[in-house]
Amino acid sequence: MSEPAQVDVRQWLSGLARNSQRWARLTVLAGALTGLATILQMVLLAWLVHQIIIEGQSAAGLTSSFIALIVALLFRAAGQGMQSHFAARCSEQVRRDARRQLHRHWGDAGPVTLADASAGSLAREWLDHVEALHGYFARFLPQMFLAAIIPVVILALVFWLDWLAGIFLLLSAPLIPLFMALVGIGAEKVNQQHFEVISRLSGQFLDKIRGLTTLQLFGQTRSASDALHRRSDQYRRITMKTLKVAFLSSAVLEFFASVAIAVIAIYVGFGLLGYISYGPSADLTLFSGLLILLLAPEFFQPLRTLSQHYHDRATALGASAEILARLNQPTGANTSKPKHPQATPDNRISLSNVSLHYGTGKPILRNLNLSVLQGQSVALTGPSGGGKSSLLHLIAGFITPTQGFVSVFGNPPGQLAFGWLGQRGFWIQGSWADNLRLTCPEASDIAIESALRRVGLGSMLESRAQGIHSQIAEDGQGLSGGQARRLSLARIFVADYDLILLDEPTAGLDATSEIVVLEALHKLAESGKTLVFSTHHNALLALADRTLIVNNGEVRDA
Amino acid sequence: MHELRPWLKLIFQRRGRLIVGALLLLVTLLSGLSLLALSGWFLTETALVGLLLAAGSQAYINLYVPGGGIRFFAVSRTVARYLERVYNHNTVLQLLTDIRVALFDRMASAGQRERGGKTGAQWLSRLTADVDALDTIYLRVIAPAGLAVMVSLILVLAAWLLFSGTLAVGVLAICALALYLATRRVFTQTRPLSARLSDQQEALRGDVIEHLEGYAELTAAGRTGKHAGWLMRQARSVSRTQARVDSQAGWHQAVSTLLVNLAVVVALWSGAELFHQGQLSGPVLVLLPIALLGLIEVYAMLPDAFAKLGGTISAARRLNEQVTPGSKLGNRTPAEPHLINGNALIMRDLSVGYTGQAAILSHYSLTVAEGERLGIVGASGAGKSTLADTIAGILAPKDGLISALPCAYLTQKTVVFEDTVRANLLLGNPKATDAELWRVLELVELASRFTDETDRLDTWLGSAGNRLSGGEARRLVLARVLLNDAALVILDEPFTGVDSETRKRIAPQINRWLEGRAVICLGHGPEALLPSGHTVHLY
Repeated sequence: MSEPAQVDVRQWLSGLARNSQRWARLTVLAGALTGLATILQMVLLAWLVHQIIIEGQSAAGLTSSFIALIVALLFRAAGQGMQSHFAARCSEQVRRDARRQLHRHWGDAGPVTLADASAGSLAREWLDHVEALHGYFARFLPQMFLAAIIPVVILALVFWLDWLAGIFLLLSAPLIPLFMALVGIGAEKVNQQHFEVISRLSGQFLDKIRGLTTLQLFGQTRSASDALHRRSDQYRRITMKTLKVAFLSSAVLEFFASVAIAVIAIYVGFGLLGYISYGPSADLTLFSGLLILLLAPEFFQPLRTLSQHYHDRATALGASAEILARLNQPTGANTSKPKHPQATPDNRISLSNVSLHYGTGKPILRNLNLSVLQGQSVALTGPSGGGKSSLLHLIAGFITPTQGFVSVFGNPPGQLAFGWLGQRGFWIQGSWADNLRLTCPEASDIAIESALRRVGLGSMLESRAQGIHSQIAEDGQGLSGGQARRLSLARIFVADYDLILLDEPTAGLDATSEIVVLEALHKLAESGKTLVFSTHHNALLALADRTLIVNNGEVRDA
Repeated sequence: MHELRPWLKLIFQRRGRLIVGALLLLVTLLSGLSLLALSGWFLTETALVGLLLAAGSQAYINLYVPGGGIRFFAVSRTVARYLERVYNHNTVLQLLTDIRVALFDRMASAGQRERGGKTGAQWLSRLTADVDALDTIYLRVIAPAGLAVMVSLILVLAAWLLFSGTLAVGVLAICALALYLATRRVFTQTRPLSARLSDQQEALRGDVIEHLEGYAELTAAGRTGKHAGWLMRQARSVSRTQARVDSQAGWHQAVSTLLVNLAVVVALWSGAELFHQGQLSGPVLVLLPIALLGLIEVYAMLPDAFAKLGGTISAARRLNEQVTPGSKLGNRTPAEPHLINGNALIMRDLSVGYTGQAAILSHYSLTVAEGERLGIVGASGAGKSTLADTIAGILAPKDGLISALPCAYLTQKTVVFEDTVRANLLLGNPKATDAELWRVLELVELASRFTDETDRLDTWLGSAGNRLSGGEARRLVLARVLLNDAALVILDEPFTGVDSETRKRIAPQINRWLEGRAVICLGHGPEALLPSGHTVHLY
């Protein structure tokens, strides 16, 4: 997978954001309410202090102002609570959309292309990477807006109180983009470094855990533990070197915020003393002076919060890059699906003028015309890599031909449900019944039990107290390869499909499973099902009504 | 909470670092608080003096001490913050190492745990997530909570000294309540949710993996859409739970902020009364409310961290389960050679199988003489690997007697470590010289593979050996076992993934190399074995 460009990643993210603006807007609104209530709180605080100290009012005489202050505090708390409440919901739609996109991609890619990536990493993308978008949408983006709104309001207020103090703040305002960049670069670096180190450490650790048995067998756990320790320490020392520099950038923000407070305190103090003979300082009172001082930290607060959330952005960008790389992966399906000539039911599987090649490579199948009658059993044989599996995948609709049409009983392939038995059997954690109902939800208990008996899994059921409702992996032990394949076969029995496709149904099976599979296929063939299977197995070839040799892109009857 | 105890003990082994880090944090917080409080004090003082001056009276103000103080705190806040971040980050990275190494050591000594067939990768990813959850507990939970208590007490003390005892008690009560809401209450409210959240997420991960593994069958049956919808519903329920946790933390934070702000109001009110009675000067009146305002920032870090604590505790519990002793490897002392009279292995009436499960083989008896070659052939699921595990001592027999010489065991699973070729091979015999390593590589026809590499024996094998093909990796681990000079060698499917040409060439060479040692070779068919004296079939 190639890394998509940063621009594309951002575009994809903003595309997702567009669909879920409601909660984001509410979050910003609640955040703005919190900010305004905080400003009001500071105004009232400064005013009360002024009234008490300068005007000599008693607390009792200021009751109404005290009440107003408490009301402002209540608003602030409500705004704050609502902000986090809305923020929590912000990315719900985003995550849903991203997951839908992945599902759609999986569907377009089909089982064949999908099998190239490990299920674990695909699941990680669907689950963890999508989850990683949350912080960006819930915390970072709203805070971006708030970092633009609240400082402006404060600035306007300070200007009104004392323009010279306003200029002090404003002077730091052009620095804000600079701060942003500094903090951004710093935070990004910290993040990147931190995650890199953590993933390396985890990698080292997991590697040793994965091979723990081997280490134990050779009596080497002690030295492995020492190596783990040594290497971790090495990583730490390297990381700390870069972090020392990276932290400097946030220290700069901290420094400016502190200096702004100090400068304002000293300016206002001197102004109040009447030491400053120019500018608006003669009009300063304890109220306006104290208010400016109280507002100064609030001016920088949104920015500091933003820098705390910066790692959310970095995490989301990293995760999105991987998701996008997956989504951009060619699906193998030809984007322009050929129009199907007609959908009139007939009784055959037909391939007309079908060619298949991947990219510019050698064609897998060339100009193939083939017709299989309903109820026939067809064996595909030929050297490996000759195109047997591709032919099965075409009939299954897992891949689409580069040219030509495939029709299954008059329908496009994949339209009608059919039975599929791959080279690896498949089972889920759950009961036997769950496993069969996965593909056939309406199956009765009796049908399920008889299907399992038909594939020779009856003895396994008998050893369990709850029969088909007992967990497959009850004892912590799963199914062997052969047993899993038989379970898949049971799904085919229970569902009663007209068409059954099987890819090397007996390859690599133990003797018992092989007999069971052979008998089962025999029964299916006898009951009039259409069977198409690839095989080298003589017993299976004998079972077929018709044997086709697939080689070099060509198919001919044996 | 007792789940965290072993990990807290581990973390507190770095007591010195933790205390220094906490002190730096304290200095940072107090500097910020003092900067604002002192500025407020200074403004009030200047305002009062300014009024006197304006009225034409004589007044004196010392500008240097407060001015210097303000400048000092502005700088100390910045410097302390920087030092704190660098120092504590270093601590966290050290704790990260400590936790991983300790966990590894404990798992190594706890022995093998039997795990269900398909959970390997999932189990590892969960383990990683759980360890990560523990890494941050000091910096996110312990240090901020401790400091919040300390700073609050300092302010209560200030209230008592500067204002009145009654106010001090009031502030103490309000802060205690705010702190309780921001920590303990968030924790108890979200704990069941957080615990459920991690279970839901893991269940969902399993379901997504199954969805993908069964994609072909689901597509064939036309069920992918339905199944995907079911996954989406689960994901939605996970994000709903997550949203409830976040929202809980948010509201608790809001209320705790409100309480601190109310403490400010109370302090101002009571200060106003005291001021009115002439018991308090104006500048001091301003000092305490502004300092209390600074407390908001101190408390703000807590609710989020405590909302995650429930998940951290579940993580700790799962990790503790990993290190409770399982079936211990090597708890069977290898037999002394003279005890088994020239035999390498004696099994009498042996039953093998995993605990809680019917025996796969029972009443099995077998003797392997020193230097003998035995092949064991059987279908998948017949119990070959279980038997091999039992002989090697990884798995305790369910019943019966077994004594064996110390053995070298090639497991069915190919395990290549993310390390150099040399390090991978030396595991088999740490004392082996380079010449010996090359000889054994030659034997499995891998020598030329690495003579072409610039780093030769120091060639780095990437994650899980992914720079090697399956067959090459198999031959490398085979070479590792061959380096070991144990008198009994067990090879489970030695040639998986090795093409038949190569196999035919290297099998006789390996046979010669192992001359004089007892070899038990297991495989699905005779062709997968070394040339054997006699072969046993398992059904």
